[in-house]
Amino acid sequence: MNGTAGSMPQTEGKMTRRTIPLSLIVGGVIVGLHLLAGLLTLFWTPYDPTAMVGGRLAGPSLAHWAGTDRLGRDLFTQILIGARIAIEVGSGAVAIGAAIGVTLGILAAFATRTLDDVFAAAFDILIAFPTLLVAMLIVAASQTASLFTAVLAIGIAGSAIIARLTRILAKRVLSMDYIVAARVAGSSWPSIVVVHVLPNIWPTLIVNLALQFGLAAMAESSLSYLGLGAPPPNASWGRLLQEAQGTVYTAPFGAIAPGIALVTLVIGVNLLADGLRAFADPTRRGRR
Amino acid sequence: MRRSAILLVSVLLASAVLFVLLRLLPGDPANALVSVGADAEQIEAARRQVGSNLPLLQQFLHFLANIAVFDFGVSFVSGAPVLGEIGGRLMVTLPLTLAAFAGSILIAVPIGILAAVRQRTWYGALISIVSQLGIAVPAFWIGILLVTLFAVNLQLFPSGGFPDDGWTAPAESIQALILPVLTITLVMSASLIRYVRSATEDILSSDYLRTARALGATLSGALVRHGIRNGAVPVISILGIELASTLLGAVVIERVFALPGLGSMLLLGIEQRDYPNVQGVLVVSTLLVLIVGFLADVLQRLVDPRLRERVTGGAS
Amino acid sequence: MRRSHSPLTSPTRGVTVSVVRLVALMTASLTSAQAADADPNASVSIGSLYEPQNLDNTAGAGQGINEAFNGNVYEALFRLSDSGAVEPVLAKDYKVSEDGLTYTFTLQPGVKFHSGEPLTARDVKYSIERVTAPDSKSSRKNSLKGIASIETPDDATVVIKLSARSISLPYNLSYVWIVNDAAKDLKSSEDGTGPYKLGDWRRGSSLSLARFDGYWGSKPANGGVTFRYFTDATALNNALLTGAVDIITSVQSPDSLKQFQTNKSFTVAEGQSTTKLLLAYNDRVAPFDNVKVRKALARAIDKKKLLNAIWGDRGLVIGSFVPPTDPWYVDLTKVDDYNVESAKALLAEAGFKDGFTFTIDTPNYDPHPLVAQFLQTEYAKIGVKVNINIITANEWYSKVYKAHDFQATLQEHVNHRDIVFYGNPDFYWGYNNPKVVDLVKAAEASTTTDEQTARLKEANTLIAEDAASNWLYLYPQIVVSKASVTGYPVNGLNSQFFASGIRKAGK
Repeated sequence: MNGTAGSMPQTEGKMTRRTIPLSLIVGGVIVGLHLLAGLLTLFWTPYDPTAMVGGRLAGPSLAHWAGTDRLGRDLFTQILIGARIAIEVGSGAVAIGAAIGVTLGILAAFATRTLDDVFAAAFDILIAFPTLLVAMLIVAASQTASLFTAVLAIGIAGSAIIARLTRILAKRVLSMDYIVAARVAGSSWPSIVVVHVLPNIWPTLIVNLALQFGLAAMAESSLSYLGLGAPPPNASWGRLLQEAQGTVYTAPFGAIAPGIALVTLVIGVNLLADGLRAFADPTRRGRR
Repeated sequence: MRRSAILLVSVLLASAVLFVLLRLLPGDPANALVSVGADAEQIEAARRQVGSNLPLLQQFLHFLANIAVFDFGVSFVSGAPVLGEIGGRLMVTLPLTLAAFAGSILIAVPIGILAAVRQRTWYGALISIVSQLGIAVPAFWIGILLVTLFAVNLQLFPSGGFPDDGWTAPAESIQALILPVLTITLVMSASLIRYVRSATEDILSSDYLRTARALGATLSGALVRHGIRNGAVPVISILGIELASTLLGAVVIERVFALPGLGSMLLLGIEQRDYPNVQGVLVVSTLLVLIVGFLADVLQRLVDPRLRERVTGGAS
Repeated sequence: MRRSHSPLTSPTRGVTVSVVRLVALMTASLTSAQAADADPNASVSIGSLYEPQNLDNTAGAGQGINEAFNGNVYEALFRLSDSGAVEPVLAKDYKVSEDGLTYTFTLQPGVKFHSGEPLTARDVKYSIERVTAPDSKSSRKNSLKGIASIETPDDATVVIKLSARSISLPYNLSYVWIVNDAAKDLKSSEDGTGPYKLGDWRRGSSLSLARFDGYWGSKPANGGVTFRYFTDATALNNALLTGAVDIITSVQSPDSLKQFQTNKSFTVAEGQSTTKLLLAYNDRVAPFDNVKVRKALARAIDKKKLLNAIWGDRGLVIGSFVPPTDPWYVDLTKVDDYNVESAKALLAEAGFKDGFTFTIDTPNYDPHPLVAQFLQTEYAKIGVKVNINIITANEWYSKVYKAHDFQATLQEHVNHRDIVFYGNPDFYWGYNNPKVVDLVKAAEASTTTDEQTARLKEANTLIAEDAASNWLYLYPQIVVSKASVTGYPVNGLNSQFFASGIRKAGK
């Protein structure tokens, strides 16, 4: 995400040497590969993704590494394109979710007691509609389904959880003695946010945002499973999985390959987040 | 008292917002009642039946009057009372959610703590890997896998559905819920493990714990004395969220296992624009979620008195 | 997988007229039956994707109610048997006047409703008027518009007077449930005369029917049936594989069949279908008001390849809206056979040498999105660009069906004998050929079925030559059961599923 190690002032002095955590490397490589695959599809794909080049539900072969779908289209091509779409969905939804969620969470933490209660109740209510169902409503409300509506829906749906977490984390920070002192000393609240709150909640938040990235990619696949995800011709992994549903016994590879792609990306992002956190906060997990 | 009042007002506000949002959806509840071949006159008749021909304000006032006395009316499509159907579906959803929730806590809390304390051992690493996997695999995938393995191939459990007579034969009902509960438990505990581990790590690296250990306390003793108080706060918050969102979020699992739960009632309601059903489910589940959130909050204040003192300025 | 609650599928889904093939199939399935071991009290579990929305077919119950209730809970004056013949049921006998305007029905004696009350002529009058009432949502309402009056001279006689000849009256009456005129709340309860009465309906899960001991006809071959409802086709297949259901009323993908075909404990039966998939243009708007454009779009699609992609080697390519089981079927597949070159030529003639762009409103459930992608690829070859707009069934009704706000749409049409839709210029696809309108009208006023058939054959040929819509293929109709279960209707498609003859071997 957008955080850098430099934003961690109070842990800065403690360590003299930093080791790069293994999870950061492994996660970085996995995510990097997905990113590369996604970028590649902007310029080149093994086949035209819409061309019906093979037989119906052909198994994996040299010509078609992941086999073909019911229309005889090359699945490997579609999975590559899926990487790009997954990254778009994940980062888009997390960006939207974080922008809304962190802002609201911090506002709530600074608000007066009554207002804070209202915020808390609002977050709770929003969370009452699980990501998937908020997304469902938003997708249903948009006249024309598109990849963007799915991203927007998943982002908005995820923002409540981020807001709730931010609020709780921020309140814990605000209840620390030195911040109370700073407030008494007259520091303005924006400066408290920038100097104290954000740096302190960032490590926990980044882990959560990474989880949100994974959840967003998976929410898209669940939406697709329910027939509400990215519409064709977007070859999102969720849609590929959904289209392979009915043929899972006759052509299992079509249902497995996009799934593996999705699983590895989510793991990669989570590892990356773990690593970033350990890197940013070396007192704890720099050892591995 | 004050808090409850705020909650109640929030529910009412939420349902008002919801009312408007639902009416913004393209489509018409009357559409669920007509079929190809219907003429304009019949479509109008269907609109009269569900009241979607009335002005929005009039529909809204009618809705408010009903909701004030906790009357959700009858389904546009089936004509059955909404509350009755919700009750029937809660008989599936509540046991499913609560069992999965309890299972996840039992699995995730000890394993999460273990993973944090012993993170450099091989099983610490294994736990990390497995929980990573658990988070990354879509729930319906796990569900389909479990069905294929335990229901279709081994024929140990039913592949889906719920007994027609509900809980009159509890053994059968429990059997029907085992695989879905297992699926949700696996998914939920995978993410909980990470939170528990992360919270435990926070504590392990904290100054007070190091101080306590320096003063001669054992690791487990220090963890119990200081850790629970500090670590439980974010974990309880996450637990509340997980429990709440599973109530309706189990919809995908309900689909895989053909369970007549609350989530599928909502999904179907949205599909058919059956507003009374949708509103009923959302208001009831909002209430449930608020109760869960309230309990989580109370619990947090109990374990961490600092939240109580500073944030609310004393007991209310 | 088809959405179970799609309102697009009309309650009249699935009545067929195949006789020869059907008899062969039924015999085949009977020989494999262990009819001798049949347990007369066995409870049969039927797995379906089509849960009714409520229990009243005049209040928008959806197609599922016909599957569960037609011939099982409710009976009509006539019924469409699984072989497509119109047979008298509650009408013992009927006479038609010389001018074809007066029908006199004599009712079957000794018929009792489930509530215990006897069937009278007043119940019949009440039941027909329920369908024609202003608030009726019945899909048969329009076909009964010609009824001028219903008289009940005595308890056993019903006289229907028509304002114009209607050769299909007995056929249309087979859709009219006879209900007790004293019955209340038919949306959640019932009072019919059928061999079964309603047991318990658990919404979202199952609907059970119990044998009615006071039934006037022959006793069912089983003790009762339970319809179990699924929203996911894979979950439904699993239920049969694990023995939770005995029968699946319609299999929705060829790929799940393998598991049953290779296993001796299951029977796979293929019947006749009337479900057609079509790309319907809005014939009112340019460029689809141009017959050359429509013909070009028809010729640009390799329908055999499409059918193979979706259904393997099952199903049938059709050249018009009429399936082979309708009496007025004509093989019209050659009218606009697959020919990319001629498609391009036609487009150029129509003034679209460089093609054009249009949007297909595509229902969000299988197979529509996949078919839309196929069309997109095929049309790209003749320079026509397709945008795919995914919509829900509910939106489809508002946008396409009601507002006619579309260029083209994919839709499955399940109705039997529904060529009449092309005789209605106000129908959603807006096809308006006065000759076809007249032929459809004249066919209904025919005095003999031969005359009716000849007129509809002519109409059928006309719509094919006009390429009024793009008829992609006819679905196959597949029923799978445990080998120990026999006697179920294979052609019944999804709409009617007569349960009374189902036998299940005892343990």
